[in-house]
Amino acid sequence: MTRWTRWFLPGLAVLTLVLAVYPAWATGYGVRVMLQLFMWIALAQSWNLISGLTGYVSFGHVAFFGMGSYTTAILVGKGIPWPAAALAGGAMAVVLAFVIGWPCLRLKGPYFAIAMLGLNEVLRVAASYFEGLTGGGLGLSLPTLDASVRIYYAMGFVAIAVTALTYAIVTSRFGLRLMTIREDEVAAEAMGIDTFRYKIYAFLLSAAAPGVVGGLAARDMGYIEPVSVFPLVTTITMIVMVLFGGKGTIWGPVLGAVILFTFQELVWAHFPHAHQVLLGAIIVAVVLVMPRGILGVLQQKYNLPRTV
Amino acid sequence: MPPILQVRNLVKRFGGVTAVNGVSLSLEAGKIYGLIGPNGSGKTTLFNCITGIEHRDSGAVAFKGRRIDGLKPHQVFHRGIGRTFQIIRVFPELTALENLLVVTSGDYARARARAEDLLRLVKLERLAGEFAGNLSYGQQKLVEFIRVLMTDPEMILLDEPAAGVNRTLLNELLDAVRALRDRGKTIFLVEHDMKVVMGLCETVFVLDHGEKLAEGPPGVIQADERVIEAYFGR
Repeated sequence: MTRWTRWFLPGLAVLTLVLAVYPAWATGYGVRVMLQLFMWIALAQSWNLISGLTGYVSFGHVAFFGMGSYTTAILVGKGIPWPAAALAGGAMAVVLAFVIGWPCLRLKGPYFAIAMLGLNEVLRVAASYFEGLTGGGLGLSLPTLDASVRIYYAMGFVAIAVTALTYAIVTSRFGLRLMTIREDEVAAEAMGIDTFRYKIYAFLLSAAAPGVVGGLAARDMGYIEPVSVFPLVTTITMIVMVLFGGKGTIWGPVLGAVILFTFQELVWAHFPHAHQVLLGAIIVAVVLVMPRGILGVLQQKYNLPRTV
Repeated sequence: MPPILQVRNLVKRFGGVTAVNGVSLSLEAGKIYGLIGPNGSGKTTLFNCITGIEHRDSGAVAFKGRRIDGLKPHQVFHRGIGRTFQIIRVFPELTALENLLVVTSGDYARARARAEDLLRLVKLERLAGEFAGNLSYGQQKLVEFIRVLMTDPEMILLDEPAAGVNRTLLNELLDAVRALRDRGKTIFLVEHDMKVVMGLCETVFVLDHGEKLAEGPPGVIQADERVIEAYFGR
């Protein structure tokens, strides 16, 4: 255990430093691959905040990503600088989470999952329908801009911020209370925990980063359309990453994102059609073989604290 | 002295089944009350209606003179009523210590000190860092019991505290309950073990088919023919 902590923090510091100077010698392709990895870490970590901690599975988390993308694209189109627009995207995602969470978080787990799935479909249709604002099915183009390196740093910052937030939450009584909802919601209520309020807090926190990275991704891609920013497969990928790494842990989502994203990049390059099949196979394998994910298994086997 | 808990004409239906049918109870502070009755007589439903987990169809529940029916469970808890469950409801993937810590807010060091005191009280201090789900049945029962005590509630509802607990442990549990009563707490418990009920409670209520059949001190209840009939048939 002490050996873990002794190497862990310095290792993390060195890794951060290497990633900080990486764009100086990387190729443009390398920078874009890494910024996508940061994006996946932020997305997986955010999904973990609501679903890993409270057990309320959100099947529509990409809705916040899409909300951020559209907000950012529209604002950039009106001449607002992209970093401010991406932050506004995060804010709009939080507003959306509040509007949706207020009625839907009163539902029990499975119904909430279905409601979130519906939300994403509604938003995608809405984005196609309100052509004046969103460009409809034609999508929105953002003015050309080479900002890959700056977006790399922005994505990296968001990934670190969400992970730090997760650390703060999981090591606090607030985080433990979120977990009581997952463990036994009735008992949590009977022990004086206002479960609805706690679920709302977790949901709002889990929507912010997807909104921001959705905005950054929109700036990076330069063009968005309803099908590209509201795909169900993005939500599923977040879920698989978290389940694979270890739901409800601090580093599980990071681990899951790194491993699966690397794997995806390799497979994508060689067998583009096998990609979704493999994703499905991984879900089945994880659920059957290690439902707690990699870190969940390690934590139980070696009795590691939550901070690992 | 005015009653600390008053239940008036409480009715709770589930579809066509009337689980609690016009029950009225009055409990005074600082005493131990028992609630007995055959399976399906409405004991747990009555507990659930008092603690806000179920909402009554009609009737009223008042705690310290204020209505609590209609409140949510967490609000009832903060008014000063804690409870345990018939089927254990610890948080399995939280440690024993964390199970206690989540109940309190405010000063962390003080909460931790209290949690450690309570764990020592039931001799579980060495298992503080163990996941509650890995503990034995009896140990989980103790964790659930001391979890209620974290906020020092004025009234404690215990749903079958003796079930599945061995004799040694049970005696300690019963001593702990008496100690709470001596400190002025009101205890209300559902229990099937008649020895426990008769030895511990000052007043016993009997439910049958959702209605209050009898009420009185243990000696009187034990001799009541209607009670014997409800349990064993004619």
